[in-house]
Amino acid sequence: MTDLASSRLPRKGQALPSWDPLLRLAHWGIAGVVLANYAFTKEGGSVHIALGWAGMALLLLRLIWGFVGPREARFASFPPNPMAALRHLGGLLRGKAPQYPSHNPAGALMAYALWACLAVLMLTGLGMSGLSPFARADLEAAVAEGDWSVLVEEDGDAEGESPYGDVLEEVHEVAANLILILALLHVAGVAVESRALRRNLLAPMLITRRGRKG
Amino acid sequence: MKPLGPRRRPIAWAIFLIVQTLATVFFVGDAAADYLAGQISAHLVFEMLVALALALGMAFGVMVLRQTLEEMRAQDAALATARGALADVIAAQFTDWGLTPAERDVGFLALKGLDVAEIAELRGRAAGTVRAQLTRIYAKAGVSGRAQFAAWFVEDLLGEGLDVDVATRE
Repeated sequence: MTDLASSRLPRKGQALPSWDPLLRLAHWGIAGVVLANYAFTKEGGSVHIALGWAGMALLLLRLIWGFVGPREARFASFPPNPMAALRHLGGLLRGKAPQYPSHNPAGALMAYALWACLAVLMLTGLGMSGLSPFARADLEAAVAEGDWSVLVEEDGDAEGESPYGDVLEEVHEVAANLILILALLHVAGVAVESRALRRNLLAPMLITRRGRKG
Repeated sequence: MKPLGPRRRPIAWAIFLIVQTLATVFFVGDAAADYLAGQISAHLVFEMLVALALALGMAFGVMVLRQTLEEMRAQDAALATARGALADVIAAQFTDWGLTPAERDVGFLALKGLDVAEIAELRGRAAGTVRAQLTRIYAKAGVSGRAQFAAWFVEDLLGEGLDVDVATRE
């Protein structure tokens, strides 16, 4: 007997995750900050530092959300599991991999790797700029007004810390380049999986999925 | 200003929360820098108070956003359950009336608002056949026609609301 009432509902196995607005804003905000600081802002300038602080706020919010957010945003929903990640990539090559209600195992590893690199990037950035988000801006404002004496003081400080500062700068740059490579891999992964398995992974990160209509 | 629709509310909360977090992180960083620089003063105490207020606001925002998202999901789930429940009620009633499989399909389609020609086309039958099936369905259900047939199920949903209405009128 055909039960029309239920057979007409869309049936798709497991649904793709519907990311909440906070997660999406944090995702694109961090992506924007990384891109802007990599390509556009002056290294060590006040805008670079301000954007870095904004990125830090977004990362902090995302990590808090990993404990208290909705299910698919919680760390418990996507534990790091390298074996499962490899299995998922293998399945992808054969053209069939299961859908997950949160990040797939490969995507989860990518998320943790990116967060780790971002944390290193931000801590080394803090180490170089100092704890105050406004120190550099104050300095630039003073110089702009013609008070060059602040620079002398700053140079004296930098001289004393220079071996330490070099290491910080080195690590900061390596982390930034690593993030860029990971981000490219991330985009490629999304493109390949969306293409190979005909599931649009980009849309849930862009828009709110409306309640299903029967 | 138009009030925000319930679907837009989480987006507004998320934006608020991000602004709040930006302010908190900047402010806490500045206060910490002042503290480490040894500039302990009434100014710093006040700064710490503001930082605390911002952090509390952030925690509150996180709680509210989470609650809003959970409520929306619960509503979606309830709606889906209600839809499924109505389908179950209809199916059970059809069984009660002793409809044949073909009549059940025609009955569902009629309830969904399709007219005789559309049902005939969908099922690949002549319009006359569908009309005869509908007549048999109405006879088995003891209703006069399509309007009463549909009302049979709508009435179940409205039942309590109508009772209250009648009671207040009396």
